[in-house]
Amino acid sequence: MKDFMLLFIGADYSEMGLSPDQIQERMGKWFSWNTKMREQGLVKNGEALVPGGKRVSGPTRTVTDGPFVESKELIGGYYIIKARDYDHAVEIAQDFPDYDLDHSVEIREVMVFDQ
Amino acid sequence: MNEKIIDHLFRHQFGKMVSVLTRIFGLEHIELIEDAVQDTFIKALKVWPNNAPENTEAWLMTAAKNRTLDLFRKYKSDSNKHIKFASGPASLNLSELFLDHEIDDSQLRMIFTACHPLLDNKEQIAFALKTIGGFSIPEIGTALMIKPETIKKRLQRSRKKIRQEHISFSIPIGKELNDRLQRVLEVMYLIFNEGFHSSKQEILVRKDLCGEAIRLVKLILKKPSLRQPDVYALFALMCFHSARLDSKINENNEIIDIRNQDRSQWYYPLIALGNEAMNKALAIDQNLSIYHYEAAIASEHLRAASFVATNWSIILEWYLKIYKSNPSSVALLNIAIVNLQLGKTETALETLQDIDVSQLAQRSYLFYGAFAEYYFIKKEYDLAIRDIDKALDHVQNNSEKEYLKNKKQQYIRNSLD
Repeated sequence: MKDFMLLFIGADYSEMGLSPDQIQERMGKWFSWNTKMREQGLVKNGEALVPGGKRVSGPTRTVTDGPFVESKELIGGYYIIKARDYDHAVEIAQDFPDYDLDHSVEIREVMVFDQ
Repeated sequence: MNEKIIDHLFRHQFGKMVSVLTRIFGLEHIELIEDAVQDTFIKALKVWPNNAPENTEAWLMTAAKNRTLDLFRKYKSDSNKHIKFASGPASLNLSELFLDHEIDDSQLRMIFTACHPLLDNKEQIAFALKTIGGFSIPEIGTALMIKPETIKKRLQRSRKKIRQEHISFSIPIGKELNDRLQRVLEVMYLIFNEGFHSSKQEILVRKDLCGEAIRLVKLILKKPSLRQPDVYALFALMCFHSARLDSKINENNEIIDIRNQDRSQWYYPLIALGNEAMNKALAIDQNLSIYHYEAAIASEHLRAASFVATNWSIILEWYLKIYKSNPSSVALLNIAIVNLQLGKTETALETLQDIDVSQLAQRSYLFYGAFAEYYFIKKEYDLAIRDIDKALDHVQNNSEKEYLKNKKQQYIRNSLD
């Protein structure tokens, strides 16, 4: 098994005018996905990220306030999961709850430094 | 954790949290407070799946309070304004406001605010569903079959009135209490009926409206000083109707009229609850309100072992009482329909002829349907078919339309025999 990072990309939920009921329903889907992965021992960790943020860049270490990309491409959170290969990781990502909101999952393999 | 979150927790919490925070920060900040509560749910959505709290309600309440303070700070620094708290949070014992009975009290204040006489019925309903019910603007639009922009305007108007007229966030006292309570009951009744009778929308949405009305009336009954006979009677009425809600619609989402409903599907615990409420109403005093009459009719239907066994004469008496206390075309229509059931066809016809159909609005199809039924009984099938076609022209709901189409087929079959 290798480690993969799943990055969740899309607009911030607060921009979508979801109702309390819809938020709760969506949360139920996140719970199911999380539970399913945990039961299979696939999740190493994962967190949601607060929108906004800071960026430090260039030789002058210029600090700018986020967001840095178009609002549809914000990173909302991530999981680090264990999977056999990319195919398996893609299969795991099938249950990501927010495809219907035009969100997407970017999958990156975590590099291992062998001796 | 997932299983532990009860259905509609967020929607119901919305009203609770907005009400408590409004009591702390003042009615004039209600929009900011609603935003803060909305933000809190988004935060929960992001945090809980990885890190669920033990006590979800307490987490939400604390997070919403903090978010409100955040927004105030942001607002203050943005506008360089000093925010004055209407109720002066420093003077209140804040922790007490988060006790269950104070949360209930805050919600009641919000209900009574929503039903303030300066707001018209439409604004009251929109405001109550949004601010206490936790429905979103599009959800209210769907439930009431009204464009979301219209709902938005009604909400803006009501908030503006609340601000400009300095409506206070309180439960009125003395004579004013009784007047306001009547308005509150009327708004609850309208919300319930929107769910139960107006058959324009999907079953799920309709049930939600009925459920919300029941939840709010239950909340009113929790406060001893508000336990008045007509509140109990309204609660009974809602229980009786709700007991039949599931049997009213078949698997194809078509209306099943009471004649063909599977009576074994009626939900008896609700009927028992309704009976209990009715007994309490009558134990307090014998003055009967329109809610008593309507509850009596609903209960009479539930009592009958079969449609044929329905005691129409008693039902007719109740409808006549309703008409006497509040003459309306809808009441006349009901009287006519019951007379048809009793075989008093000519009386039914006379009553039908007295009805001003323009007063019936979306129920006008029932009026044409009753005429059609009259002609059907008189074996004047051509006229029956003509009027059922008129009913079909006026019906909005698909399942009701199917019902009328089936009737029409029946008329046509009879006309061919």
